[in-house]
Amino acid sequence: MSVLQPDALALASPLARRNPTVKLALLFVVSAVLLLVLDPMTPAVLYVLVAGAVLLGAGVRPRALLVAQLPFVAFALGVLLVNMLSRPGEVVWQGAGLRVTAEGLWVGAGLAGRTLLMGLLSVAFVATTDGVALVTSLHQHARLGAKVTFAVLAGYRLLQQMGAEWQTIRRAQSVRAPLGRRGRPRVGLRGHAASAFALLVGSVRRGDRVAGTLELRGLGDGERTTWRPVPLDRKDAVFAVVVLGVLGLVLVGASAAGVLEGPGALF
Amino acid sequence: MTGSGLAVTTSSGLAVTTGPGLAGITLSGVTVTYPRRDRPSLRGVDLHVAAGERVVVLGPSGAGKSTLLHLVAGLVPHSTPAEVEGTLVLGGDEEHLDLSSPVHERSALLGVVGQDPSASVCLPQVDAELALVLENRAVPPAQIGPRVGAALEQVGVGDLAQRQTARLSGGQTQRVALAAAVIGRPGLLLLDEPTSMLDASGVRAVRAAIEEVARDASLTVLLVEHRLDDYAGEAGLDGLPGRAVVLDADGTVVADGPTAQVLREHAAALHALGCWLPLEAELTALSGKVGDLASGAHDQLLAGLVPCDAAPRPVSAETGVRSVLLRAHGLAVGHGRQTVLDGLDLDVRAGQVVAVLGENGTGKSTLLHALAGLARPLAGTVSGQRPGMVFQNPEHQLVAHTVADEIAHGLADPAPTVDRMLREHRLEHCADRNPHQLSGGEKRRLSLAAMLAHGRDVLLADEPTFGLDRRDTMVVADALRSVADAGGAVVFSTHDLRLAAEVADEVVVVGRGRVLASGSTHDVLSDAAVLDGAGLELPAIVRWFVERCSSTAALQSALQALGRHPVAGSGALEPAPATSAGVRA
Amino acid sequence: MTPEQAAGKAAQDVRQDRPARSRRAPWSLKELMLVVVLGVVFGFLYWALVQGWIAFAAVTGPFGDLTQHVLLGGWLIVAPVAVAIIQRPGAGVVAEVLASVIEVVFLGSAVGPLLFVAAAIQGAGSELPFALTRYRSYSWFTYALSGGLGAFAVFFFSAFRSGWYGTDLFWTRLAIQVVSGVVLGGLLAKVVVDALVRTGVVDSFAVGRTASR
Repeated sequence: MSVLQPDALALASPLARRNPTVKLALLFVVSAVLLLVLDPMTPAVLYVLVAGAVLLGAGVRPRALLVAQLPFVAFALGVLLVNMLSRPGEVVWQGAGLRVTAEGLWVGAGLAGRTLLMGLLSVAFVATTDGVALVTSLHQHARLGAKVTFAVLAGYRLLQQMGAEWQTIRRAQSVRAPLGRRGRPRVGLRGHAASAFALLVGSVRRGDRVAGTLELRGLGDGERTTWRPVPLDRKDAVFAVVVLGVLGLVLVGASAAGVLEGPGALF
Repeated sequence: MTGSGLAVTTSSGLAVTTGPGLAGITLSGVTVTYPRRDRPSLRGVDLHVAAGERVVVLGPSGAGKSTLLHLVAGLVPHSTPAEVEGTLVLGGDEEHLDLSSPVHERSALLGVVGQDPSASVCLPQVDAELALVLENRAVPPAQIGPRVGAALEQVGVGDLAQRQTARLSGGQTQRVALAAAVIGRPGLLLLDEPTSMLDASGVRAVRAAIEEVARDASLTVLLVEHRLDDYAGEAGLDGLPGRAVVLDADGTVVADGPTAQVLREHAAALHALGCWLPLEAELTALSGKVGDLASGAHDQLLAGLVPCDAAPRPVSAETGVRSVLLRAHGLAVGHGRQTVLDGLDLDVRAGQVVAVLGENGTGKSTLLHALAGLARPLAGTVSGQRPGMVFQNPEHQLVAHTVADEIAHGLADPAPTVDRMLREHRLEHCADRNPHQLSGGEKRRLSLAAMLAHGRDVLLADEPTFGLDRRDTMVVADALRSVADAGGAVVFSTHDLRLAAEVADEVVVVGRGRVLASGSTHDVLSDAAVLDGAGLELPAIVRWFVERCSSTAALQSALQALGRHPVAGSGALEPAPATSAGVRA
Repeated sequence: MTPEQAAGKAAQDVRQDRPARSRRAPWSLKELMLVVVLGVVFGFLYWALVQGWIAFAAVTGPFGDLTQHVLLGGWLIVAPVAVAIIQRPGAGVVAEVLASVIEVVFLGSAVGPLLFVAAAIQGAGSELPFALTRYRSYSWFTYALSGGLGAFAVFFFSAFRSGWYGTDLFWTRLAIQVVSGVVLGGLLAKVVVDALVRTGVVDSFAVGRTASR
């Protein structure tokens, strides 16, 4: 269902073989650090580096990568526009009741760049990580409880069925819906709300049954083993060090070049 | 405690020994009442199942059969709150579990298969599902792989280990669930209507898997199954577990003994209660004689049902050619760009009932959606008035908060129609209740009532009798028939060939991407080659009548008469004292 | 209490229709599964809604950016629904975090792991009014407050992340977001919970026990 589903090629790549918990943790740390960066240069440099790494190490085709980033491009453009037009400062252009400011452009570009960068990282993560492996790895390495882990995995299974279930419910309820102008059933807000509710009721009921099944499979918080553990090895440590190191270097470089700006730029 | 059992330590540290001699069930005076109901679901149940016994629990809908299983499994009262009186003991003499043991503690002793395939398997991949059981028992990882493979082989799905569970058929899913239930080597196997939501080939496959699993003589099996006719299949009474326990509508045990004997003695009463019985038992109930179909004991009864000259249906007597209400021409349907069914031409005339038959996955539902105008056909046209449609799962169509509002939904002037529908479909007693709280049969009647209230000429129905007991099935069949008799038309899909033969004037058989046969019911059903090619199995009783009736009208009349034939002897069940533990299967 | 007495009491609890677990007992698998189901259903619906909305937002140009504030209420609704059904401390936060995990991991949502932080903040804000009334009051006001607080709390985190500080529209955004939170994340949640209770499908949870009394 995601925009870029991991396919066979991506899952065999070097990036995919890294431990998912480590990847998630790195993604988290990098995103958190980037939250504090507001100039357009640093994200631009990082974007180029990450794009290179992804194309080389993630087995994702360039075209697929571009397509997957489209929503982020739209979002980033929006951010840029809004900041251009609504941030007070030195006016650069005026007309048609709108004004563009230099500060707006600078901060807007920074935020947009950051959005694109975080988007790219996110896309890379999703493309090279199997959801099931991630949850299992969190159970193994991040001490996520067994009950929570398998409840989430069971939820994934429910999610797989949900698209078809939604379509069936929509069709079932369209039968008695009044016809619109072109002879097709007219679905209003009410119609969608009723379908959403039907989906909710059915899913809650199914969830109860699944919980019963899981309990009868012996799921509990006691001692348990893992059949196919997700590997965590030295390569992951190296990977983490490399990523954090590169980030640090770029930040230091930007700061040395006098380009780096922090959250102060906002105010 | 025998020493030959296999010692297992559950996660809570409770040492339970599974194996021979230690997986019996004893219930004493058990009464279960759910919170919002005024009547108990189970009443004073006394039951002793010794280790290794095979028991089938029979009874009409709502008799508490599932409640019994859930009680043994621990879901009642730990997961679903309920007031429980009496005692329950699981296991042997020393290490045993009782009412207060939570589900998790009982899980080492039990294997359970539920009826809904979509909730029987929880994880995205098949082997992970099975491995979960062993992981929870802290089995060393090296042993897990081989045991998973062995369990899958045992139920006949050995090649599905790497398969994504989302892509399994119903029969495959239930078999995987069965494998997961037995992989932990439980002493007790609970089966809660495992085949009720499957098509014919799924039922066969799951049944074979259960037989294979049941070869282990130390396994105690408790089966609840309401479609005994399907479950028994060709083997008849021999295909059922050796001991039968009958619950009546109040939740009391009224019979307990060897299956053949119980069915013989109580056939009439069970049939009157609305249970599906194996053919042999049904015929015994109606004729009062003992013996299977081939023995000829019931020939007198059956021959009397075959009409000498078939009177054609009243509507067709009036006009030579009836008007076409719905026409499909060159119809191709499928998902996305993939064609599932191609080249369908169908004229649905007033007064006609058409049955669409075929295995799961052959496109029956998609076809009905296209005919209803809910899905765009890949090719071809559908013309005619807007049909009404009832779906396989009645809950999908519910939109209102009360039954009366549900029927009124979409109507311009609801009041008179709603009252009439409530009366005709016997829903007056629940007019103000929330539709989701109705029983399965009531929900089905409601979805029919709500659709019929719109008064459309054509009614489409996707598996309208799925999961219903015999009485509710007859109600639905009557409703379909009456739509046609009133000048409308019905097109429905079903796995129940007996229903199709009883109600349908025309039959369309689909399979392998095209229409395999279409024509009058009698003609199509007498063509064994076509049925074989489509993977359909004609029930013995239908075959009997098809051979002896000369026309569709005669066939319908005979089967309807059979369905409505009064039972031989009294229909009242007297509570029988519990017999001693039944025969070891 | 001797083991026999404890077993007897446990059996008695089981027999009677009384919640056998206090609010401090660990979450049952059933409750966890419910929260997961809520996260999956609302996540799915929200995802479907967003697909449609992206087109709408693109059309409305730069101020399409503001539509995200209108939508936020829909994202908040999981928390009060979970709290009202399960009636345990932390239900709101767990529900929101699980929903965000499902969005990111299984739906591949466009935001990334910071969504977890946002979700936790939303959940905490939404849960606060219920916690303050000790999980006993489920009035329209409590729900409205829940939605409003959740929206308010997460606004400041998102403002930092998306750089809304220092822009002209800052207070407009906050206003839209809080209104959306109150209506979609609060009042609508009560409608949903009441309707669910009437269907009988949540009878075996805490809300079913209190409703029947």
